[in-house]
Amino acid sequence: MQPLAELNRDAAPAPRGMIEVSGLNHAYATRQGPVQALENVALTVGQGRFTVIVGPSGCGKSSLLMMLAGLRAASAGQILCAGRPITAPDPDRVGVVFQEANLFPWLTALDNVAFPLTLRRAPKAERQARARAMLELVGLGDAATRYPHELSGGMKQRVSIARGLVQDPPVLLLDEPFAALDEQTRMAMGEELLRIWAATRKTVVFVTHSLTEAVYLADEVLVMSARPGRIIDRMPVPLPRPRSYEMMASAEFGRLRDRIWQQIKAPAR
Amino acid sequence: MLVLGRLALLAGFCALWEALPRVGLADPELLPPFSTVLATLGELLARPALLADLGTTTLELLVAVALALPLGTLLGLALGENERLARIFDPLVFFLFSIPKSIFLPLFILTMGIGFWQKVAFGVFSTLFIVLMSAAAAVRSVRPDHVFTARAFGASRAQIAWRVYLPSMLPILLEGFRLAVIFGFTAVLLAEMYASRTGMGHQIASWGENFMLQRLFAGVLLLSVVAIAMNEAIRGIEARCSHWRS
Ligand SMILES: Nc1ncnc2c1ncn2[C@@H]1O[C@H](COP(=O)(O)OP(=O)(O)OP(=O)(O)O)[C@@H](O)[C@H]1O
Ligand SMILES: [Mg+2]
Repeated sequence: MQPLAELNRDAAPAPRGMIEVSGLNHAYATRQGPVQALENVALTVGQGRFTVIVGPSGCGKSSLLMMLAGLRAASAGQILCAGRPITAPDPDRVGVVFQEANLFPWLTALDNVAFPLTLRRAPKAERQARARAMLELVGLGDAATRYPHELSGGMKQRVSIARGLVQDPPVLLLDEPFAALDEQTRMAMGEELLRIWAATRKTVVFVTHSLTEAVYLADEVLVMSARPGRIIDRMPVPLPRPRSYEMMASAEFGRLRDRIWQQIKAPAR
Repeated sequence: MLVLGRLALLAGFCALWEALPRVGLADPELLPPFSTVLATLGELLARPALLADLGTTTLELLVAVALALPLGTLLGLALGENERLARIFDPLVFFLFSIPKSIFLPLFILTMGIGFWQKVAFGVFSTLFIVLMSAAAAVRSVRPDHVFTARAFGASRAQIAWRVYLPSMLPILLEGFRLAVIFGFTAVLLAEMYASRTGMGHQIASWGENFMLQRLFAGVLLLSVVAIAMNEAIRGIEARCSHWRS
């Protein structure tokens, strides 16, 4: 695993948004003993690529994402972002959006979005201007002064995405960000995300349970096995962009979705 | 409309208080008319001695609260954050909380006399548990996913304390502080009524013993207004700090 990293460091510097994971293993210590969550996970996400991770519940998707975000240390293995290891949260390189919007209820939408900048003690004017621009980007320009309890689920999630983007990190990680939303909102949010992605050209790693969502959004779908999670398939999605709702009815779309399904459907027990 | 209704209720209460002794439905010796009590209150407030008593009581309360708040908050934080400590001390704190504090008053007099610091000590003793328990509840109300989120955006420990813990805890803390002021006021007045040479509680008690009902009612009125004013002031702060709840 080492040579890959070395090679990259010696050669031209890795692009800002490039993620390279190699030999990643993780076991949780529990009272019943160690629980192997990830086994020898390796993946590369190129600069500006939209990668979707799918896999059965409990296979370690969230764990993997937490490690990419520097929020949890892996038992073994290496994670490089822009050629440098990730060992602690680094909001300059990686933005995160969680399944629950996790907004701070005591802050307005604008202040929630500005929160990462506040932590860095950015000047107030700059903070507000950046946060406002991000709210505009997610289509919530007029909700800046509202508090989370005054926002719908979809709006909260968009605020959360704006917060993930506010420091302009080259990488955006999203852990089932639309899982709590209804089907309609979910579709609309997917489209919204693709629009934002096209506008900002971030590297995106997106975890979902929805196969349709996966195929609709991804450049490449990584399929994980049941625990211990391994990557059992890397499926490029050759559908043209911009993606449209109509594509979902195409034979190609169905074929891609079926390929994922065949691999993750639970074996009959 | 609401305000009007409430004002009408207040006016009605005062009018009834005025009318009952005047028309002979209540004994004016036992219940002096409202206007008489107001006049007495005016006279009393013009006296430096009474203002000194009021000052003493207020100062005792303020010092007691100023000691109990940080002390109780710190102890509460320790219990709220430390699972093992909490499991040992929670029942003890809970039992102590449920005991009426007034029964310990004679002990305070025996050990500390009847001066200023005895009132303060009894005030602290009577409020500490409320502050402690609300602080512990406040820490436990901090949501782990908020802490986690802050960490994901690179928050330091100090920033987590200041920007996540504090705002999360503030509504419950302030509610505890408000109750502490009410209980503290009660405790200080009780201690003064029981054994003291100064303070509003001492005055109230001696007016009662000497059957000076006009003054007694004037004192009751004054202390009621002071208590309501303090309570409303803290509630105002609470409302400003917890508008985001619900
Ligand atoms: N803090 C922890 N301590 C012990 N075990 C854990 C912990 N977090 C996760 N696990 C275990 O590790 C495995 C992977 O969990 P993880 O949350 O990463 O799965 P996931 O793929 O995100 O699942 P889901 O799709 O349901 O969100 C699970 O079996 C889970 O029980
Ligand atoms: Mg998960």
